[in-house]
Amino acid sequence: MTAAAPTHTTAPALLAGLAADGATGVLTTSSGVLHLAAGEVVHADSAMSPALGELLTRSGALAPENWWEAVRRAGVRRRVGRHLVERGRLTTGALELCHLGALFDAAYFALLHDDRPARFRPGVAHWLGAVRPVPAAAVLRESRRRRALLQRIWPDPAVDTAPLARTSGAGRTKLPPRRGRALALVDGASTAAQIASALACRTFHTLVELRRLAADGLVIPAPPRPAAALPGPAAPGAAWDEPETALLRRLLDALEAL
Amino acid sequence: MPGIDESLLEAMRLPGARGALVADWISGLALGAVGEAPGGDAEATAAETAELARLALESPTLAPGSGGGASGGTTVEDLILTTADAYQLLRLVVTPFDSTVFLYLWLDRRDGNLALARIRLAEMADRLVLG
Repeated sequence: MTAAAPTHTTAPALLAGLAADGATGVLTTSSGVLHLAAGEVVHADSAMSPALGELLTRSGALAPENWWEAVRRAGVRRRVGRHLVERGRLTTGALELCHLGALFDAAYFALLHDDRPARFRPGVAHWLGAVRPVPAAAVLRESRRRRALLQRIWPDPAVDTAPLARTSGAGRTKLPPRRGRALALVDGASTAAQIASALACRTFHTLVELRRLAADGLVIPAPPRPAAALPGPAAPGAAWDEPETALLRRLLDALEAL
Repeated sequence: MPGIDESLLEAMRLPGARGALVADWISGLALGAVGEAPGGDAEATAAETAELARLALESPTLAPGSGGGASGGTTVEDLILTTADAYQLLRLVVTPFDSTVFLYLWLDRRDGNLALARIRLAEMADRLVLG
């Protein structure tokens, strides 16, 4: 294994260089990881966004046992995606659509702090296998565009990370279905990532709905309360990882170590 | 079994087809594109048609069942935009998991057949997800 890149390099700069070199391995940022194969992004992970397996199984598109069977039988050969298609569990198109949805979602959060250092570990490709590799430049461009989109909708980044609360206006207007479902889970304690996970939805797409709700004055970041007055659930700023997500991540790490 | 690229290439075989793409109507991202795009920039076309689709999907009166992943009588299926020299056709893709995507087709008005293209694009949207 070759030496890691200097730690002062920022994620976008490092990613651009790795793409030019056609590198294969894992780029780790302060908020997620990007998996590269031959300079293209083949997979992304972040604690803020649901993983592909969660999006597929929790929506009911794929039975959990079928997902884990594919991971077990094809993970070592790095062909989990292919296995799902060959077994007729998913069509190629469905796998590509869900995979790209998860990839750009995680990449957005992995590249959120583009002034912070990132590091690269050269090595093998991801266990999912290449489903639909994306040029690194397209991932960087899309992440910047998404940031600008949220800023245009409602320029308060606190909505993305803080526990959210409803205002007195919530519930009076008819909302588009996706927005209504997001609002229904705003309870004064849950963050955007927790709401996305509960909905089995991509987090960025949930952020869009929550920022629109904030722009309409229906949702606000919950005012901080004294710790003693908290009636139960996790304090603001608690880890986004739910136990299930944390378990999936550990299994993923174990597979990668094979 | 078609993936995104195969579906786009199939769309390009329709008479008069000038360009096709798969895009996300919430983020405006182009997930795949082939051929030309009006204005010459497929990513801009994706972002702008996405906004058009979103307005229709989130309208409380035009198609109130839309955008919820449900199918039924009141969900948006297609959006059709015509100019003197072209048709632009959007077809929403229904998936069993969280996605917000549509197929887009740019069709030359002289050679294109709107009715045929609409039927074919609907079939492609179904096959992309169901096989």
